[in-house]
Amino acid sequence: MKQQREIIFRHSLLLLFLAFSINIYAQSDPTGQAPPTRTYAITNATIIQAPGKVIENGTLLISNGMIINVGTSVSIPDNAQEIDGTDLFIYPGFIDGMSYTGAKRPEAIQRPNNLFTPNPPNDYAGITPEQSVIDQIDVTDNSIENLRQLGFTVSHSVPYGRMLPGSGSIILLSEADHTDHLILKENYSMYTQFEGAPGAYPGNTLGIMAKWRNLFTNASYQRVYAQAYSKDPVGLNRPTQDRVVEAFYPIVAKEKSVFYNASSLLEAQRAIRLKKELNFNLTIGNLEEGWYLIDQIKETNTSVFMSLNLPDKPKNSDEDDKSEEIIELEKKRMDAYNRHLIQFREMKSQGVTFGFSTMGATSSKIKNNLLSIIEAGLSEDDALSALTIDAALLLGIESITGTLDVGKIGNAVVSTGPYFNKDSNVKMVFIDGNKYDLDTKESRTANGVSAEDEAVLIGSWSYSSNTPQGEQTGKMIIQKNDDVLSGIMSGNNGAPDSDMNNISFVNGNLSFDYAVEFGGQTLEIVIEGDILGTDFDGVASISQFNASWAITATKDNPDQN
Amino acid sequence: MMKKFTQSILILFFITSWSIASAQTGDLLIKNATVITITDGTLENTDVLVRNGKISRIGSNLNTPNGVDQLDATGKFLMPGIIDAHSHIAGSSINEGTSQVTAEVSMEDVVDPFDVAIYRALAGGVTSIHLMHGSANVIGGRNETLKLRYGSTNPDDLRFEGAPRTIKFALGENPTRGGRARGIQPQSRMGVEAMLRNSFSEALIYKKEWEEFRATKGDRKTPPEYSLRMETLVDILNGDILVHCHSYRADEIYMLMKVFSDFGIEKLTFQHANEAYKVAPELAEFGASASIFSDWWAYKLEVYNSTAYNAAILTQNGVNTSINSDSGELIRHLFHEAAKSQKYGQLSDNEALAMITMNPAIQLGIDNRVGSIEVGKDADLAIFDNHPLSIYAIPLMTFIDGVKYFDKETDANDQRIYINPESDIEEVKILTADDHDRCMQDADFVDFYSLFNN
Repeated sequence: MKQQREIIFRHSLLLLFLAFSINIYAQSDPTGQAPPTRTYAITNATIIQAPGKVIENGTLLISNGMIINVGTSVSIPDNAQEIDGTDLFIYPGFIDGMSYTGAKRPEAIQRPNNLFTPNPPNDYAGITPEQSVIDQIDVTDNSIENLRQLGFTVSHSVPYGRMLPGSGSIILLSEADHTDHLILKENYSMYTQFEGAPGAYPGNTLGIMAKWRNLFTNASYQRVYAQAYSKDPVGLNRPTQDRVVEAFYPIVAKEKSVFYNASSLLEAQRAIRLKKELNFNLTIGNLEEGWYLIDQIKETNTSVFMSLNLPDKPKNSDEDDKSEEIIELEKKRMDAYNRHLIQFREMKSQGVTFGFSTMGATSSKIKNNLLSIIEAGLSEDDALSALTIDAALLLGIESITGTLDVGKIGNAVVSTGPYFNKDSNVKMVFIDGNKYDLDTKESRTANGVSAEDEAVLIGSWSYSSNTPQGEQTGKMIIQKNDDVLSGIMSGNNGAPDSDMNNISFVNGNLSFDYAVEFGGQTLEIVIEGDILGTDFDGVASISQFNASWAITATKDNPDQN
Repeated sequence: MMKKFTQSILILFFITSWSIASAQTGDLLIKNATVITITDGTLENTDVLVRNGKISRIGSNLNTPNGVDQLDATGKFLMPGIIDAHSHIAGSSINEGTSQVTAEVSMEDVVDPFDVAIYRALAGGVTSIHLMHGSANVIGGRNETLKLRYGSTNPDDLRFEGAPRTIKFALGENPTRGGRARGIQPQSRMGVEAMLRNSFSEALIYKKEWEEFRATKGDRKTPPEYSLRMETLVDILNGDILVHCHSYRADEIYMLMKVFSDFGIEKLTFQHANEAYKVAPELAEFGASASIFSDWWAYKLEVYNSTAYNAAILTQNGVNTSINSDSGELIRHLFHEAAKSQKYGQLSDNEALAMITMNPAIQLGIDNRVGSIEVGKDADLAIFDNHPLSIYAIPLMTFIDGVKYFDKETDANDQRIYINPESDIEEVKILTADDHDRCMQDADFVDFYSLFNN
């Protein structure tokens, strides 16, 4: 009897276990959102398998996350969703070399009381290399979707912070419930920048350079000792546990790269100076001014991602009676602008392999910037290489992505025409073998905003902005003239109105930028956020200062619209 | 569009080739000048031959070697390039003022080769500057001695290769202002002295720890914590770094000499040193130098008891004295500043000009290379249309390593190397507020209200 009972008990355990396992693998989908199949065949398309390697009338077969077949004679399995690719162009998924994609800026750190010491608390000083971007990533953050809509499938995301914010990770730009599902390479890089702590050491470039040397050199001594201790601890003092010091061990050992936020000529030269002195693997993650640096980059074996953030094209004065001097100065300014554009071609022709990064670039400007760079002489193939295989090589992920080769991750961009045509649009993006259909601009007006969306957007909005100078209020007025959206930011503080530029409104996400004069400097403020009904909830940021703050707005008299 | 790009490439090619040339050395024969050698009197109708950037011969009727350009300087005055021992031009940051001892930081990290003030200094006959850290803290950062090779885009091209390391100290009101505003040491001159003594004592302990570590054989030894700050202080104690100390009052000047005597540090120059005239014999006995303003004072309380005779009194007491600018404006006419010592104190022409050439070269430890016109020295030279101590003198040309960096004849309106395409046209200015009072830049931690309402 007792035996029998035990058997029944065991059986029920087994049943219970089975029931659980069925539940795990069946993945019931109460939302009805899950696709019926993860096998996709895009047929009769122009497939750019890799830069320069074009397959006409080809088929791309992606199944369960992987590229299974590509070519002109591909047999299509029964369970595949077949997509007619006539007139469509397929590219390898784009790769972004460095950005804050998905990361949320942490709350400002309270000023500690013991600030004025040579060694202020590490979190305030911004020396937190032991931290990881994974802890800052919010899977619902707009930046993931914004990049995906441009055709980006992978991003090397780095954390917000000051001098040493933490590790960057390579992530997939998928829709996911949990950050873990995005990770391609966890804690891949050490991210660093010239960002001093307000009022505390290190306060500026002087202190940051010195602190860097100090941290690195100290870690190289401590690492040797830690190794000796782990080999034979008997008779040795226990090494001090310090996660900041330990974070430098893989850098000293050249097992991990340092990614420097060094966009300007002088910053990049300073980063290279540290590399030359200390000898570590350096990647400049967002170079904007590289033209004088080509030789230094090659000599020091520095890796480079070129920023897709370009300066705005200068506007020459349209006055008739301009002096010779003004004409000359305007010409030099235009030359300086062109200097930014032609550097990409020069780098390529002088043998520098670079990828692109989106840090600091407004997503609505990225495609236009790419077109400007190509117009200035970088070939389309080279631009595509920088977006795909070269970026993959620089990030060490070329075996899993960067081309549409069989066996790689199912990352692809499907465009309504050649991607680098002004009028083409990204129609769908495959990431990790999952299909994302995008709102193509065909249904939109000249601004790329649908008529339905325009009704939501156009009108007068009252905003409130928590700027570093205190709260500011005013009106955001968005209108449409001759089929073109325009707008002004009008403050209640008496400052002159500013025109909105680059207004974009897609899937409820509004972004635009405007310029203000501050202390003799022109600052570009980028606003980005979501509209829900008549409420706008967004973030204003000034990339020059690495500063951002909240801005909210409510539509005035929505009934009248 | 393509044509435009080609044009800009041509322009760039021009700039790039210029920047390559800038790191080079030149050959030149300057004919028939009045040569003010500083160390060997003034030579009339004399030729100076420059080969590979060095002065190779001085004499009359020198033959022009093949391929060497000849420059007729009849009626002109040739002097050594002017050296400014206290400058804050060409630096993108000046103070790491967030902590009171920052010996580990260095101005070599923040050299800005694009600063147009460099060109303006060249136009005043200046060939070398001492780019100094600011005076916000007791022990500031290391300074950087530069040659003004304007046109190069690489900060390293401007470094005075082989110049000894120097460091900035600061006494008196500037560092104590920060201390009082923050409620930390130092709040008084006593606190400054205590910080200096504590820092050097700590450095001695650090030095001993590392000596013991290095003396222990094998790898089974615990390394002390590495500190670049302490390493630098140890180098000062070892005499490898020259100290340049911001100071005004006689009592603080005397204090620092006592501290240095106690720690055996010998290489010391007092910057500003407005009251140095009160302790001139003591300075001479210590062997300390002074780098001063000609006649600038009364801009704060500690700078009242001053005199324009400071330069003459120091010189006549045997103190090596230089006159500096500490300004992007004064640097353009240091020869006028030197001339003031003739009105106030009747110094000789040679004594006056030495204060902007040989004497600062000695203070920076580069007197074996520059500071006078001698065979074997670097061809860092300035040509004037009149005697440089004349109020009518105009600098005509400036050479570094025999390469011409300024020529009044070919002086273009816009000398910027770097142009921000997003800048406004109206931003182009002759002088900006940035050119003055950079000593406390990046250190705006206190306003007058909080200073007096502690």
